[in-house]
Amino acid sequence: MMLSFPYLWLSFLLPLFLGIIAWGLGRYEKAVKALIDISAISLLIPLVLVLYYYATGQIYKGIVDPLSINLVKYKIGTFYFAVDGLSAPIVIGISIVTAFVAFYGIKYMKNRIEELKKEKVSAPNLGAYTFLYNLFAVTMLGIAYSTNLIEFYIFLEGTLASSFLLIAYYGYGNRKRYSLLYFVWTHIGAVILLTGILYLGYVIGSFNYMTLSNGVLSPVGSLQAKLGEAAVAIALLMTIGLFVKMAIFGVHMWAPYTYAESPTPISALLSSNLTGLAGYALARFVFQYFPSIMLSWRPILLGIAFLTLIYGGLLAVRQADFKRFLAYSGISQMGYMLLGLSTLTSYGIAGAMLIYLSHAIGKAILFMVSGVFITELGNLRNIKKMGGLAKMYPFTAALALFGFMNLSGIPPTIGMWSEILIVMGVVKSVALSSLGGLIGFTFLLIVSLTITATYSFVMMRRVFYGQMRGEVKEHEKIDGFKLSMLAIAVFGFVFFLYINPLMNGLNHSAISFIISFLGR
Amino acid sequence: MFMVVVYGNWWEWNSIWLSPFFAAGVLAILWLVGVRNEKVYDLISVLSILISSIISTFALYYVLIRHEVIIAQTSWYWVTFLKIKVGAYLDGLGAIMSTIVSWLSFLIVAYSIEYMKKDWGVQRYFFFMSFFVGSMLLLVDASNLILMFIGWEGTGLASYALIGHWYTDEEKYWVGVPNRKALGLPMYFEPSNSGLRAMIFTRIGDIGFLIGITGLFFLAHYSMNLLSVYSSAGAWMGELASKGMLAAFLLIFTLGAISKSAQFPFHEWLVTAMTGPTPVSALIHAATMVKAGVYFVLRFAPIFFVGAVAASALAVSQTHEYFYILAGIAVTTVFIMATMAIVSNEFKLILAYSTAEYLGYMILAVAAGGLFVTTHNFHVMADAEVAGIAMLLAHAIFKAALFLIAGYALHVANSRFIDHMGNYSKYMKVTAVAMWLSGLSLAAIPPFSGFFGKELVLENVGKTGYLGLYLFAVFAVFFTAAYISRLIIRVFHEPPYIKNKESKHHLKEAPILMLAPYTVLALAAIVLGVLWIYTGKGLAIGMFETLGIKAFPVFNVAIDASTITITTLIIIDFIIIALLYYRRYNFMGLLERSSALRAIHTFLFDRWFINSGLYYLFLYPFMGLSWISNVINVAIDLFYHRVLVKAGELTSLGLRTFFRGRTDYLVAIYIAMVSIVMLLIYFGW
Repeated sequence: MMLSFPYLWLSFLLPLFLGIIAWGLGRYEKAVKALIDISAISLLIPLVLVLYYYATGQIYKGIVDPLSINLVKYKIGTFYFAVDGLSAPIVIGISIVTAFVAFYGIKYMKNRIEELKKEKVSAPNLGAYTFLYNLFAVTMLGIAYSTNLIEFYIFLEGTLASSFLLIAYYGYGNRKRYSLLYFVWTHIGAVILLTGILYLGYVIGSFNYMTLSNGVLSPVGSLQAKLGEAAVAIALLMTIGLFVKMAIFGVHMWAPYTYAESPTPISALLSSNLTGLAGYALARFVFQYFPSIMLSWRPILLGIAFLTLIYGGLLAVRQADFKRFLAYSGISQMGYMLLGLSTLTSYGIAGAMLIYLSHAIGKAILFMVSGVFITELGNLRNIKKMGGLAKMYPFTAALALFGFMNLSGIPPTIGMWSEILIVMGVVKSVALSSLGGLIGFTFLLIVSLTITATYSFVMMRRVFYGQMRGEVKEHEKIDGFKLSMLAIAVFGFVFFLYINPLMNGLNHSAISFIISFLGR
Repeated sequence: MFMVVVYGNWWEWNSIWLSPFFAAGVLAILWLVGVRNEKVYDLISVLSILISSIISTFALYYVLIRHEVIIAQTSWYWVTFLKIKVGAYLDGLGAIMSTIVSWLSFLIVAYSIEYMKKDWGVQRYFFFMSFFVGSMLLLVDASNLILMFIGWEGTGLASYALIGHWYTDEEKYWVGVPNRKALGLPMYFEPSNSGLRAMIFTRIGDIGFLIGITGLFFLAHYSMNLLSVYSSAGAWMGELASKGMLAAFLLIFTLGAISKSAQFPFHEWLVTAMTGPTPVSALIHAATMVKAGVYFVLRFAPIFFVGAVAASALAVSQTHEYFYILAGIAVTTVFIMATMAIVSNEFKLILAYSTAEYLGYMILAVAAGGLFVTTHNFHVMADAEVAGIAMLLAHAIFKAALFLIAGYALHVANSRFIDHMGNYSKYMKVTAVAMWLSGLSLAAIPPFSGFFGKELVLENVGKTGYLGLYLFAVFAVFFTAAYISRLIIRVFHEPPYIKNKESKHHLKEAPILMLAPYTVLALAAIVLGVLWIYTGKGLAIGMFETLGIKAFPVFNVAIDASTITITTLIIIDFIIIALLYYRRYNFMGLLERSSALRAIHTFLFDRWFINSGLYYLFLYPFMGLSWISNVINVAIDLFYHRVLVKAGELTSLGLRTFFRGRTDYLVAIYIAMVSIVMLLIYFGW
């Protein structure tokens, strides 16, 4: 459905505009804070839009912004801004996390900038941070809104540039090195993807993956036939490029460094939102373009998925740095996302999209929890020095538990639905075929999900339970900083109850197209 | 007798479980807005559970007296994609379980008001108690497997949180003897560790359960509704059997029940779960949550039975195999737990061993009935169901009473070890009577309800003709009588072995709010037994009105030679042990003299070394794998960030030395590249 007013462009441009003003007013702290508040609220616009169109039922056919850029004559296609059932959970995830992390960032970044001043480093002020942050947030939204590969790629580069600068300015430790490391790695991924994209556009003459006809947004469909022999090469390039972005086993090495050394609000966005977007891209255009190639690769994809998620979990449990731990847990969660995708069933792919949302919620909360200790307990990140913190930080402990429940799929959190759908995907695609398949995949699933629960609850114990190891004299105070964590958690519970529209939307989206193409 | 299916208003009947959930939500909000008044928390919690109890009782009335089965579902789908409606299915089993759970919860939460008074985490305690009761009631009432799974996981979460309630891990909250090791591994557990263990042990099984549920969704025509799973049982069981997967599938499906009900080798989590506050042990780890697995078996065994018979001979033989393995697991649990209980020196630990043992009996009874699938004998299956539920009812009552007594006993002694307790009967007469009543019920002495439960179980196991199953089940009965006799005499009728502690405390009768719940339960243990004609009949009607039961079951105990012999021997056993302890027979001296006995004692005391064995078999390989992953990770890191970088640096150095000053090379390469690109653009685009 075509919107009557360019709401999607509004939701994209407004935070950007506010960011630019904040940049300009950088010296006036009160004005910048007010602008952060306003831009945080403006980042919630996509959430409101999506929920509204869920309620009216129009999202199932896709909502499209009236403003579009027509580049058909350059053989590029048309740039629309659109949201449909497949991207709706992604938009929700980005909107919730970026909005509340923006609130959260006020206290955190003020603290961080002062810290940097003490180190005699002159980092750009809060205003410049706000601009970069908002740019990062809206470019991620842009990725989710995109309907064209070039459009997608432009926004992808936008996220990279803004997040790179944020890490380089405000990061910890050897921030120059880690920001460069992050830049080079993800840029390699992006370029491999770009090669695939250009090759595809060169052969096809268009970069669209969604088209608008008679007001209905629909997928372009499989291009295997048209691409002929190039199809396998393009599929491979795109998949590998996205794997690097997703931090899949083998090309994951940038993630622990980056997440651990970024300023926490940026870690939260990187881990919760950005990496998962690569998984979304797989479902959005790679699967759509090359369904039967993907089907023939399924055993390999399943193998990589299990490897990534078990490997990430095994490493997570032995980390001593809270943020590095979260980074490995993120790698493991991306393994789940890939697992859901690689089952190539509507259940698994829907589960992967819900993992995006549940992981965004859970991981954002957990990064914010780590940020609480960094801000309030003098840069406390070492898990060996934590322990017994629940007594003085009961509110934070409760939220951390909720975050971990989201990751390990325990109700009442949305994580349970993603877990169920992914298990369903595995059961439907491979586990019910033979005795060996049943026992083997049951074993693998038990190992995977138990490892997730293990690292979650082991960390819960090491950080929050037992006798207090450090010296914490005061009970925590609940301020806006912490309430922003609660706000994200509330959504984790709300979407546990109101999962129905999300699942319906996913079921009616491009997934059904892929599944029907495969005739399964 | 005929049954009427009634379609109720969904929220009327579902408020059984909604009410405690709602209370938990209110408590969470109150905590957030800063209300800390203890009274508010316990009042809301108790009242919400009382509402559940009353509605459950109504449901029981409808089922038992009016012979109606209640289906109360929403007309809309909660989740359309998975065809989930919110609803309750209250047949005989559902209504009976619901009533047992809600009333026991009510009594135990009322007891907690006094027990948890002025505790530093009392608000969290009542929140999780309410959350637990809601989850448990959802589990037993749910009409849909996903709802059941939500309840199932909810109870697990509450159990985790409540086991680790005193997460600051002071030594007085531990389980096990401090510094004791078995095979080099610690045998004492802090609350936070126990919580973690409970979470992980049950998680393993839960995944199996989930795989079973989702498998059924695809097998039973895209529905997870209990009734469709039942009505299509013949079809899906036949399909699985033809691929040779039926027994494996059913076992994976039952894995959740095995781990939740602490059957071997998952029993370890239940033992250390005793770090929780005692009412938690009473409610969650004795009377209700651990019964979830038994409920599962009671619920699904008849369905499997009917389905296998309807499907094919192949399905029958594979289902028989499944029931045989299940019975084997159960009887193993029964036997090893009974032997551990006779040597333990912690009050709650003895009860915990006993709980796992009794759970084994219940599952054994049902599995024994299931073994008759080969003869298509629906009557035996029905009888076994009654045996299972009778044992469940009797056990829930006497074990809850015993745990609540333990709560007070530990409080007075300020210790968890029975060595520090003694002569309680002198100071607390009513408690002593309650202890005797519930203890005798546990020892299966007539006319207590425990006797009927255990007799029915043994009869059903005997009928199968598998002598191994029967003999081990009977052996365990004597161990049972022995450990409970030892416990009663040592704590209530003898001076403590280690005296110094007693003088410090004022020994007196328990306050009324604590005394009343366990006295009521202890009286129920005998009254339900004396009036077995009614109790048994009620249970039999209930079971007859349960999904998949096709015959009216027998509920009376057949008094034959074996019953009389076993009962007489139990009584003799009980009296001998009681006398030995009463006369202060020096068992420890016996141990000092004989090294063989000492070895046996250590073996039993350290729980057959199963805990250490599991750690060596699973935890250590897991840690090794984690270590190896780390090595790989470091290697990957070095490769990318050192080796590749260095290689690039060296290549660059080499090229620079080669090209130094040679502009002609660079120009040539530049022209060549530009022309290739131009050609490509000209021809292709």
